[in-house]
Order: sequence, then C-alpha cells, then structure tokens
Amino acid sequence: MTERTLYQRLFEPPRINQMAIGTKVVVYGLLLIWSAVVLFPIYWLLITSVKSAADVNGGPVYIPFVDFTPSLHAWRELFVVDYEDTLRAYFNSIIISLAATLLSTLIGSMAAYALARVKYAPNLVTVLIFAILMIITFVSIGIYGVDWRLVIASALAVFFFLMKAVSSRVKIPLKNGDILFWMISQRILAPIVVVVPIYMMFQTVRMLDTHLAIILTYAVVNLPIVVWLMYDFFTSIPRDLEESAQLDGATMFMTFREVVLPLSKAGLAATTLLVMILSWNEYLLALFLSTAKAQTMPILVAAMNAGERGILWWSMSAVIVVMIIPVVFMAVVLQRYISKGILLGAVKG
Amino acid sequence: MKTTFKSLLTGAMAAAMMTGASTATAGEFDGVTVNILTRPGPVIAGRLVDRGKEFTEMTGAEIRVNEVPFAEIFQKLLTDWATGTNSIDVGVFASGWAVELVDGGLVENLDPYIAKDDKINFDDIAPYFREFNQKIGGSTYLITVDGDFQMLYYRRDILEKIGMEPPATWDDYMKVAEAMHGMDMNGDGEADYGSCIFKKRNAQSYFAIGSIAAGFSQTQGTGEGLWFDPETMKPKINNAAWAEAFRVYKDTGKFAPADELNQDIGDTRALVQAGRCGLVIDWGDIGPLSIDEAGAAIKDKMGAVIMPGSPMVLDADSNTLVQCDATRCPHATNGVNHAPYAAFGGWAGAINQKSDQKVKDAAYAFLSYVNQAEQSNVDVTMGWTGYNPYRNSQLNDTTKWIEAGFSPEFADNYLGAIKDSLNHPNMASDVRIPGAQQYTGVVLDRELARFLAGEITAEQALANIEEGWEEITEDFDRESQAQMYKLSLGITN
Amino acid sequence: MTTPENMTPDRPGPAPVDLTWTANPGGPVSQWIDNHARQLFIMPAVLMILVFSIFPLVASLIIAFSRIRLRGGGYQVRFVGWKNFEKQIFGSEQFHFLGTFTQMSVVGWMVGLSVTGLILWWMYKYVTTQFTVVGFIGRLITASVTIAIAFMFAATFFSGNPFGTLGVTLFYVFVGCGVQFLIGLGLAFLCSQQIRGRNFFRVAFFIPMMITPIGVGYVFRMLADTTKGPFTPLWQGLGLKDFAWATDPWAARVFIVIGDSWQWIPFVFIILLAAFENVPRDYVEAAEMDGAGSWQIFREITWPQVLPVAVTVMLIRVIEAFKIVDLPNIMTSGGPGIATESMSLHSFFAWRALDLGQSAAIAYLLLFVTVVICVSFFNLIVLNRMRQND
Repeated sequence: MTERTLYQRLFEPPRINQMAIGTKVVVYGLLLIWSAVVLFPIYWLLITSVKSAADVNGGPVYIPFVDFTPSLHAWRELFVVDYEDTLRAYFNSIIISLAATLLSTLIGSMAAYALARVKYAPNLVTVLIFAILMIITFVSIGIYGVDWRLVIASALAVFFFLMKAVSSRVKIPLKNGDILFWMISQRILAPIVVVVPIYMMFQTVRMLDTHLAIILTYAVVNLPIVVWLMYDFFTSIPRDLEESAQLDGATMFMTFREVVLPLSKAGLAATTLLVMILSWNEYLLALFLSTAKAQTMPILVAAMNAGERGILWWSMSAVIVVMIIPVVFMAVVLQRYISKGILLGAVKG
Repeated sequence: MKTTFKSLLTGAMAAAMMTGASTATAGEFDGVTVNILTRPGPVIAGRLVDRGKEFTEMTGAEIRVNEVPFAEIFQKLLTDWATGTNSIDVGVFASGWAVELVDGGLVENLDPYIAKDDKINFDDIAPYFREFNQKIGGSTYLITVDGDFQMLYYRRDILEKIGMEPPATWDDYMKVAEAMHGMDMNGDGEADYGSCIFKKRNAQSYFAIGSIAAGFSQTQGTGEGLWFDPETMKPKINNAAWAEAFRVYKDTGKFAPADELNQDIGDTRALVQAGRCGLVIDWGDIGPLSIDEAGAAIKDKMGAVIMPGSPMVLDADSNTLVQCDATRCPHATNGVNHAPYAAFGGWAGAINQKSDQKVKDAAYAFLSYVNQAEQSNVDVTMGWTGYNPYRNSQLNDTTKWIEAGFSPEFADNYLGAIKDSLNHPNMASDVRIPGAQQYTGVVLDRELARFLAGEITAEQALANIEEGWEEITEDFDRESQAQMYKLSLGITN
Repeated sequence: MTTPENMTPDRPGPAPVDLTWTANPGGPVSQWIDNHARQLFIMPAVLMILVFSIFPLVASLIIAFSRIRLRGGGYQVRFVGWKNFEKQIFGSEQFHFLGTFTQMSVVGWMVGLSVTGLILWWMYKYVTTQFTVVGFIGRLITASVTIAIAFMFAATFFSGNPFGTLGVTLFYVFVGCGVQFLIGLGLAFLCSQQIRGRNFFRVAFFIPMMITPIGVGYVFRMLADTTKGPFTPLWQGLGLKDFAWATDPWAARVFIVIGDSWQWIPFVFIILLAAFENVPRDYVEAAEMDGAGSWQIFREITWPQVLPVAVTVMLIRVIEAFKIVDLPNIMTSGGPGIATESMSLHSFFAWRALDLGQSAAIAYLLLFVTVVICVSFFNLIVLNRMRQND
C-alpha cells in the first residue's frame, strides 16, 4: 500500500466498511441535517392538525401542551362528523391506486422485458394505417355521434383488409428503440392537454365517475415510467440465467415469471412504489373523472381550502397526514424487498 | 315511442302534482334523488346538507350534495350538462355564471314553477336580487340562497378612539387607514394594520377593484352599466376613473400587511377575526363572523357602512374626473357618488333542464324550501353558513339577529348598511355575460396583478385590458354579447 | 405521441438477443399463447397507449386550432387557424408567454449574439466532421430553438424586462432539477455507505414524495407564511418584517423551487440509491485490494455504473418539471404579477376560464419545447457520452 497523506488518513478509511472519524462526523451531520429538513414540515403538519383556529392564526406556536393545548376537533370532524365522505374517499384512493399500480407495473414490465430481449420490426405502414383508422373512429364517435360498436367493428374490418392489401407490399420496419422512445415520450404530455378529451371519451362509454375509468387512466399515465425504469433494469441483468432456462425448455412466460422477476425485485419494488405514489397523489385527472362516487383523497385535500372562509389548515393537515400513512406503510414493506434485491445482486456476480 | 309516452306521462303526472308542490306532502317525492353540485366545506354546502335532511323527512326526496373545489365548480357543471352526462341535477353557484349556461340552453326556466308556488313569497326578496340576479332575459332561472355585495367595515372602537368618522370617500379612507395603521388593535402588543383588502392574484382582487372603480365611474343608475357601453360593447375601462381606482387600490397597500399581495379573502378574514385590521372591504359575512367563536377579538367592535364613493366622477368626453353636480350624479349623497357593487352576486341554485321532470320538481321544491323566509331568515344570521341576507324580512326585523348574538346596536348598524347598499338605485352590476370569467377572472385580474406588482403602470394595464376584452368580445360575437349585456342590466329593447 | 422521424434516437444499449423460447406442451390455448408470447408481451402496453394518447392528442390539436364553446347538446367548434398560437407568440399575450420586449440592452445583445455564435460554431463543427442528413435536421431544430430562447432571455431578463411563462418554466426546470440532482445524488451516496440507521434514513428521506403535490403546496405556503409560519421569529429577527417573499418576483420563484425540490429530491434519491446499491460489491472490494482511494473508486467504478440511471432519472425529472403546476398555483397563484406562472399554469388558467383553444395552444407550445429540449438532451448528451465510452 502506498504512503497515505494526512488527508487520506483522516478521511479515507483503510477499508470500505470502516469510516474515518472525520468522515463519520461529516456523514452523520449531513444525514441528520437533511432528516431535519425533511421531517420538520411533517412535524408541523402533525401539530397543525391538533391546533385550534386561534392557535394557527395567532402566530406560530410549536410544542403541544407547552405553548398550546392540542384539540382533536379537526380529527373529530374528519372521522366522526364527516366520516362517510372521508372513508369513501379513502377506500376509493386505496382501490384505485392499488389496481392502477398493479396493472401498469404488470403490463409495463412485460413490455419492457420484451423490448429488452426480443427484436421487433413492426411495419411503419401498418402502424400508420392503424393510427389513422383509430383517429377516424374516435372522431366519428366523438364529434359525429355514430354508434361506437358499429364504428369499431367496421374499423377493424377495414384494418385487416388494408393490412393484407397494403402492408404486405410496402415495408418500413421500425426498431425496438423507436417503440421504446414512443412509449416513453407519452410522459411528456401534460395532463392539462388530455383531460378534456379523456373526459369526452369516458362520457361516450358511460364510464364517468367509476373506479375503472380512473384506474385505466392512471395505469396508462404511469406506463411510460414503468417501461423506462424496468427496461433499464432488465438490460442490466445478465442473460445467462435466461439462456439456461431457455435451454431447459422454459417458455417466455415461465422465464419471465420464474427467472427474470425474482432477479429484478429491487427495480420492481422501486417502480411499484413510485407508480403507487404517483397514482395515490394525482389530482387533476381525478377531479375531472370523478363526481361523487369515485372521489379520491387529493380532492378532499383541495376541498379544505374553503375559499372566502380561508383555508381550514387544521383539517387540511389532518387529511394530508392520513394520506401519508398508507404510503409510508408501503415504503416500509417494499423496503425489505429492495434490500433483498440488493443482497441478491451482491451474490450474483 | 315507448319512452316518449312514458316521459309524457310522468310530465303530466308531475304537472298535476305541482299544484300542491309547495305544500310539501310526506312521501311526495319518494325514491327521487336530487344531485346537487356546489363548493366544499361547511360554507354554503353545509346548510344545504342540513336542510336536505329535513326535506327528505318531509317529502321523501333524497338530497345528495356533491362538493368540488370552488375554482372548478363551473367547469365541472358546464361540462357535465353540455356533454349530456347529466349526473348533476342542481348547481348551486355564483349567480353571474348562469348567463352562459342559460345562453347554452341548459337551465330550466323557473317561471312556471314560481307561479304555482304559494310559499316562496317572491315580493319579499330584495329588488336587486329579484329583478337582476335571479333573472336572465326577463325570466327567472335562479333561486337565491345567499345575497352578495361588498361593503366597508371599520373598527368602531378604534375609530372612536381616534375621533374620526367612517369614511365616505376614498380620500377619507386613506386618512383613516393612515391614522389607524400601526396601532395595537387587539391588545397583543404588536402593531396592526390600517387597511386590509385582499390583493392576491387569481383570487378575489377583481371584485375589490370593481367596488372601488364603480364610485368613480358609474353615476346614472344600474342600467348605465359599469363595464361596457351596452350599445357598442366598447369597454368602459381605459379611462381616468379606472386609472384612479387602480391607484387607490395600490395605495391602500401602504397601510396593510407586507405580504398583502399574496393574501386572498380567506387570509384577510383570518386577520380581521384576529382583530388586526382597522378598515376592511368585504361581503356581508363580516357581520356574522364577528359574533363567531373565532371572532372573539372583534365581537361588538365592528361597524359597517356603504362602500366609499367619490365626489369626483368620470367625464367621458374629456376623460378626466370632474366634480359631482345634480345632473352628473343624480344619486349622490352629500355630493359623493356611491355605487355599491354586487360583486359575485351571491350563491344561487339552477336546475338542469335535462333532468327528469320528477327530479326537477323535487329540485325546485327543495330550492324554494331553502329560500323561504321561514328557513332562510334563520340561516343568514349564522356566520358559518356563508348565507348573507337577501330578503326584506331579513333586513327589517332585527330579532333573529339579536337572538343569534348581535348587539341591538350592531344589528341596526349592519342591517342599515346593507339596506343602504341594496336599495341604492346606483347599484353596480357584475359582468353577467358569456365569457365573464375570461373578462374579469383572467384578463382584468392578471393586468391588475401586474400593476400591483409594479410590472406596468395603471395606464398600460388598462390599455391591455381594453385590448384583451375586445378580443374576447369579438370571439363571442359582439352583437350577441351586447344583447346579453343589455339583458343583464334590465334593458329590454 | 409520434415524433418526427428525424428525431428518433437510434438507442444503442445492449442489442436485444433474440431468444427462441419453446412452447409449453399443453392445451391448444396455452400453445397458442406461447407461440404468440412475443406479441402478447408488448401488445397490452401498445394498445393502451394508443387508445389513451392518440385520441386525446388529436382532439387537443383540433381544439388548439379552434375556438370551442360548450353548449346544450355538445360542442360548438369554430376553426381559427393559427390564431391561438399567433396570440401567444406575436399578439396580445406575447408579454405573458415570452415576456415584455422593448429596447434590447447592450448586455442583451452580447448574450444573444454570443450564444448564437457558439451554436453556429457547434453546427459548423458538426457539418465539417460527421455530417448526416437526419442528424443535421435534428441539430438544426435544436439550434434554432436554443437561439430563440437565448434571444428571449436576452431581450427580457438581460435587458431588464420581465419574462413570461416560458422563461419561468425554464427557470423551474433547470434550476430546480439541478438542485434536486446534486442533493439527491449526495444523499444517495451517503446512504449507500455502511452506516447505522440506514433504513431509517431511507424511509425518512423518502417521505416528502409521499405527500400529494397540492398538499406540498399548502404545507410550504404555511411554512413560508411570514406572520403565522414557524419561521416568523427568525424572519423578523433578520429584520425582514416588512419584506414579504411573495411580493418579490425572484424571492417568490426561489421559494417555489425550494418547495418543488423538497418534494422531488426523494425521487432522485431513491432511484440513485438503488443504482448505487446495484454496483457489485466485489468490484469495489477488488479495487480496494489494489489500494484505490475512495474518490478513485467512486470515479472509476461506482460512477460509470450509476451514470446511465442518473441520466434516466434526470430525464424523467426534467419531463415532469416542465409540467409544474400545483406549487405555483397554490403558493402564489402565479403572482406577484405573472412572475411565478409556469406554462402549465398558464394553460390551466385559460382552461379554467373555458378558453379551451388558448389552453390547448399553450399546452402544445409546452409540448414542443419539452420535446425539443428532452430529445436534444438525450441525443446530444446521453448518446454522445455513450459513444465516447464505447
């Protein structure tokens, strides 16, 4: 080993598992500072939820029982007076975000895996024919009000006819990269652009204010994220295990389920958590697609701004706190899988 | 064929029943559900829920109140009704928004219902709300549940202490605000504010500016129109009156909290209730709020008066402000022209034209029930309901108010100020034409915010507003907009 | 969303191996499924995206070129051509979207011209060394947009004029994402070390992301309040009693970036943490045996492994950051003036006032800017980098 400078002796540990004392102080110092930055707003939420209106508006008070007397009035309002609304929104949120997460993780990671392992060469001509037909379908249903069953049936017929007639002659193959890019680029769309058309679409099929409408929308909105993250994870997994599974006669579904998924637990856990959170917290689409039956929690949060009567800070804080709990729970559960995934990663090399 | 027959039948049955609609009979509307869409929280919605339960017991109709955030109500309702989703039967919203819905043929005309209703006592509703607010083009489409216009509130105790009168003009306002600013008004040892007027963007500031500008601009009575020339739809905004109003509005910020630019009406009211404001511009709510639990600091300390006016009014030909005289300001008091502004217009219920007849009947019966004096005269005295008075019987009789906790003195003062404003022949109407949100909520509000932030001068702001408004008018078609504007002012030719 | 052909990146990455799977000896249905497994794996995703994105995109494109009014019985559509876009770029909304243009200052000219010079030089270099038609067109688009944006800033910010929602959005995106990346990377690195309480730190650091964005808006409005927020004594102690952040354009923008960063650092953190932990431990240990210092290990072993993930995570962040709407809406409503209004919020306000045409036009402008910037970022930085590393 080479001669170590003073700097190295102070800050660079002789082995990775040990830390020099100076480094330790700096590392834990930074981590604790950031913990404070992260946790203080949460603490403030918690205590605001047990403050009275006068305690909030009269200037800051910090510690319950010391400089103010906590009261549970906001919580009582939420869970005793208005418990029906609260619980309905809560269950709606849970059902919608769980289902949307499962759906988009499943579909998304299948697509990502396929893109990482199979060479596709879809014909651009077929794709264009399909897209144009679909636009015509939507326009004739949405703007001209033709019966949707009729339109879809005839569009399908025309599609297969054109596919046989045109696509087999003119071929412009696309690559996997194109498909991947196309999927990911969906995420660029701001929800504000699509919200009115999506509303019209669900209205046509009479699905407004249903769980399914919101689940499908969330699943699609989050699909690009799943495909993107999982594609990166799948490409980083060594292929030899799959190849040997394949030699053993496993089908693509079996390989995916029994070899690939267990190997990518870390990635799956992180992706699931992310998608779950994004669906749990989404506001604008939920606002539009739900009226009463399918209202979710973020709408309840927004509702605590009582406009000219000011913001009901105490109730709003309580709703936000209630909203955080299940996600923290999820994070703690998935945390274990993330760790396991990492252990596996350490062994696999 | 079958469905047509069925709907005819139900229609006939409903018509037959409507003779007795107002004397609600038990079980009359069994199995009918009325979906109401309104704003969230106890305000407005809370009382509808309570009254809905009573109504269910009386008639069997289920009243379901759906709540969405305030800013999204209109969007939601219009989309629901226009696309034929029809999941909502009744919208309870700002009366000004109704014009666009009526224009689109989406709202049920209530005249036939009212003709058969013997309990609603229409003549008791204050003239402004009865004739302007509930009507569009001469027919009634709305039932008021809350009457809104702005007034000036002051701290009676502080005013007495400094020996000044409640301001009648904006010059007075500045003087009083300056004198009060920095005093400790709630005994917490901290300096408080002379003036509190919400100035946040995308909130309510365009209502405040309307209240200020009206006194400088509108002199000839409600029919003159504050916003446009009813004949040509030319904006009446790029002139000396509005420029002065812009400056007054900004100047009040000198005697206000430092972050007033980011305060909406909720923030301002919290300050008022904490006893930190000397002068306040607000709707009728401050009265009931001052007897609220949270308003302990201002209980029996507030006074109300008609919105300040101006002795100098706009002369359109020379585009200058000139002294009032008998012809120029026919409605002036002591040489000061007041024009109380019906900002927002109040919350009112409208019925979806496409709902089933049975549902429409139940919906009307419910709105009528809430509006009837027996119910509403109690509701308006309670601060948390958000309902402000709109009936003469609510204003002439102080007993209900005193029962609710008002001191007799404040009840007289408060109701007096409301009567002064409501019965004023020069009351200024809100923009009640299609695109109202774009005219005021977007263009006026944005330019005002830029002026307040110091980005542009008042003159630049007003020129921009004029240009923006002309574009909107062109988009909506000038002819029809002028027609709608005339109707909203009660001009029927 | 379909992109221009010339912009489609030929993503290198590891080339997919075409594995040949066998079919399961089962019933005819499962046979058929196994034989079509390749299509079945990707079809659900393709179909869902097609249905849910092509239609809304086309519909909003139609809306962007028309005026729409909702009336009884549906929609009244009137085509107005480019009018909605013209209004934003040249017309009465120009100050709002691009900024206020008056005289350009000397500094403004210097900035504008020097950026133009740099871009032209870069183009020249490209043309003389590695010219391809597709690459040239792509670079041409990137170059023109960059020059246009540079002149927008030169004529507004560098000439003392306020800029519009485009400038504000770019500020949020670049400053916000920069801050989030640096802090997120640092935290992820620290947490990937052998430290006590790792699980606590991870879960704790992740919490801000769990709060719904509108909730974060309200929380920060509460925290930043100068009369009743928790930092009031500190604020007043600093002698700032009469200064309100919400009334100063830059202070307000910075506050919004702080709120946004607080919420999104956890996202960068969690993904980079997973990347750090996926770095094979034996590589590191082997390097240690060879006596490499920790900085050297980081630079030569850890960083190359983390880089692809870091690029992905930043690209996602940039895309999401362009959509920022809840925080400025709730904290300042876009004020003071229009100082904190992002393009998404601009579109949202138009939408709320039922001006659907303007709303869709702004949204499309946002889409255009986002696509150009993200694709340029991807093509010119990421791919270049990968080529160099190969």
